[in-house]
Amino acid sequence: MTSSTSGEKIRSSSSFELLKRAFPLAMLVLLVVIFSLSSPRFLTFGNLLIVLQQGTVLLVAALGMTFVIMAGSIDLSVGSIVALAALVTALTADRLGAAAIIPAIAVGAVAGSINGVLLAKGKVPSFIATMGAMVVYRGIVLLFTRGAPVSIEDEQFLNTYTERTLGIPNSVIIGLVLVVLAYVIINRTVFGREVRAIGGGERVAILTGIQVARVKISMYVLLGALCGIAGLLQGARAMAATAQLGEGLELDVIAAVVVGGTPLTGGVGSVVGTMLGVLIITLLSNGMNMTGVDPYLQNIVKGTVLVCAVFVTIDRKKIGIIK
Amino acid sequence: MTLTASDLCKSYGQTRAVDGVSVVLLPGQVHAIVGENGAGKSTTLRMLAGAERPDSGVMTLDGARYAPSSVIGAAALGVSLVYQEITINRSLSVAENIFIDRLRRFAGRLGLIDRRRMESAAQAILERIGAQISVSADTSRLNLGELKCIEIARALSTDPKILLLDESTAYLDHREVQAVLGVVNELKAQGMTVAFVSHHLDEVLAVADGLTILKDGRYVGTYRTAEIEPNEIHRRMVGRDLAKGIYPSRLAEDPSKPTRGPVVFEARNVAVGRELNGVSLDVHAGEILGLAGLKGAGAEALFAAICGDLPLGHGTMRLADVQFAPTSPTDAWRQGVAHLPGDRQNEGLIAEFSVLDNLVMVRPPRHGPFFDRPGAIAIAGDLVTQIGIKTQSIDASCRSLSGGNLQKVVIGKCLAVQPRLLLLNNPTRGVDIGARTEIYRIIRQKAAEGLAVILSSEDMPELIGMSDRLLVLRQGHVTHRIETAADATEHDIIGHMA
Repeated sequence: MTSSTSGEKIRSSSSFELLKRAFPLAMLVLLVVIFSLSSPRFLTFGNLLIVLQQGTVLLVAALGMTFVIMAGSIDLSVGSIVALAALVTALTADRLGAAAIIPAIAVGAVAGSINGVLLAKGKVPSFIATMGAMVVYRGIVLLFTRGAPVSIEDEQFLNTYTERTLGIPNSVIIGLVLVVLAYVIINRTVFGREVRAIGGGERVAILTGIQVARVKISMYVLLGALCGIAGLLQGARAMAATAQLGEGLELDVIAAVVVGGTPLTGGVGSVVGTMLGVLIITLLSNGMNMTGVDPYLQNIVKGTVLVCAVFVTIDRKKIGIIK
Repeated sequence: MTLTASDLCKSYGQTRAVDGVSVVLLPGQVHAIVGENGAGKSTTLRMLAGAERPDSGVMTLDGARYAPSSVIGAAALGVSLVYQEITINRSLSVAENIFIDRLRRFAGRLGLIDRRRMESAAQAILERIGAQISVSADTSRLNLGELKCIEIARALSTDPKILLLDESTAYLDHREVQAVLGVVNELKAQGMTVAFVSHHLDEVLAVADGLTILKDGRYVGTYRTAEIEPNEIHRRMVGRDLAKGIYPSRLAEDPSKPTRGPVVFEARNVAVGRELNGVSLDVHAGEILGLAGLKGAGAEALFAAICGDLPLGHGTMRLADVQFAPTSPTDAWRQGVAHLPGDRQNEGLIAEFSVLDNLVMVRPPRHGPFFDRPGAIAIAGDLVTQIGIKTQSIDASCRSLSGGNLQKVVIGKCLAVQPRLLLLNNPTRGVDIGARTEIYRIIRQKAAEGLAVILSSEDMPELIGMSDRLLVLRQGHVTHRIETAADATEHDIIGHMA
């Protein structure tokens, strides 16, 4: 319909886009190559399973965060919600066994809904609302435990969430199921499109008749519920809930989503990207430990990788003003 | 100084905004660049000011080659631009706004700003243009005309020899326009060269010595104001007799079309916020009701209430004979009210999204919670053909589309849900003449099929050409009702607006 000149333009810009989209994958491959050259134990089935297991908690929370960031918002309270959910899990696992996942999801969803309501109805910017929530939720855990760990001893519970099925840890299976679920929600449902539209242009979304407040609350409930599952998995791994559990997790979660190519400005989001981002961050820690990188140097490397990834993948044309 | 430009060309994508335009600005004269919307006036002025780079063409300043790379570069050579939009920061003082880019100049001891020196410099410029604004005035309380004078003062603060004003009066009301024109006259008396862009002939005739007419991006001619009749200017701007050609025929003019249907929407004594104070109107199926008025006269507030974006302060509305009081845009859309916002970029569509994503955004086809992509492709494909949206594919990003096509996408988004009432806020702002004609055609066609349309526009010929009936708003009230828009004159409407 249009002349060939604009066609050329579209094609060349999309190949550039492709390059950017392939960047997380390229980075992952690069890390695998570097680490397997430096340590023979790195690229083994056993270690890769460990990586997956280590990354699952991060993955589950990051899937939820993908929605929130895609809508142009943020949630700093994920680490605290994970701790809260782990505590509830520890308190109910003796009585409920594997079904302790229900209260874990419920407490996460409630915590998330409070964040969502503060943002959507109270109009408190998500950065501030969830920064407050981060401190409050963590405070609740501290108040309740007085700093002492609450151990989980229920056999059925621990078996369900730490055993393997067909050689693959159950937690990893849960994580992969949730990846598929998040992928379908983002790419195939009306809700996913509405979240994307809010991030792409909130004023447009409002005037278009999208129920912005409802969608925002829903996505925070979704993130909270996923953090509930993440808290349960973390508790099961540690066989206890501690007051420090999940501390600083929010930064890793945000980093994973952003490294995966979902910009903080919203409107775009990729579950596959988030999965790659989680793998990159987990592999980086695991690989540096395996190859004996000075633990005091590791944070410097992690921070540098994060900034480099954003430096390459960010689409400055779309953003205009960078604050 | 003499500034000449010859054979300037500038394209945006496939749109030729300016195609072979020449302008000469003589010392101490006021020169106007006139033409319809989309004629290329602003683009031409912005090239003279260094804000845009011409694709081809030559500019000279006092005989020397002139090719400024930015407005700052142009200002250094003595050519200063006042933008169309108000760029005053209302949290800064009058003086700070004037010297915003050169505050360093007033650095005193310790690097702190010498406020007294800056304010007296600002005062001197304001006095020079005869503006009655105190440098100590609270910027947040000034009206748009006063803000425009501050913009002019800012442009003058670099001590230019040539001042360029881009549609400086577009958003101003009658009194504010007079204040700005007074400033232009004052500067002319001081020997300043002024060029300005306008589509208001009255303003042009009041202050300009000479004028250049543009039409559809092309150069028509340069004339001395004293030597050309207003009617002749108008005829050359439009290029045909009174621009009737681009507007489809109305209900009353076409006997083959049915007459208007029943009342679809009515408002009784409606008040919204502080802008709209008691307006009554009704729209019938098949009819286009035009709303004329200055910015802030009430049309936007009325639309905001009808589309559920602002609560109704007072009065009642009925839609298809049922009480109508939408609680949110969602509610309004659900009841059959479609709204095309005036700000396409920030309110109309999401440019990063695809044509399809935007077209089905209001009510995406779905199977339960799942998005029905084949259904969406069918709807979007149908709209693309029906409205004539020129795009590579329905999955192409809207960023690859021209302004006219973007606006067609927003119209498609409105029509996708088969509304009963369509609210159009400046539907052809920044749209070229070709796309305009198509937009007019589709709107009229939908009206003929029974849609009720309310059209609010700053473009007077469009209002007169498209509406069946016209209401003029001023300060939140209807000041004039015109039953047969075809018989209305711009002069008559403007008289009731200001």
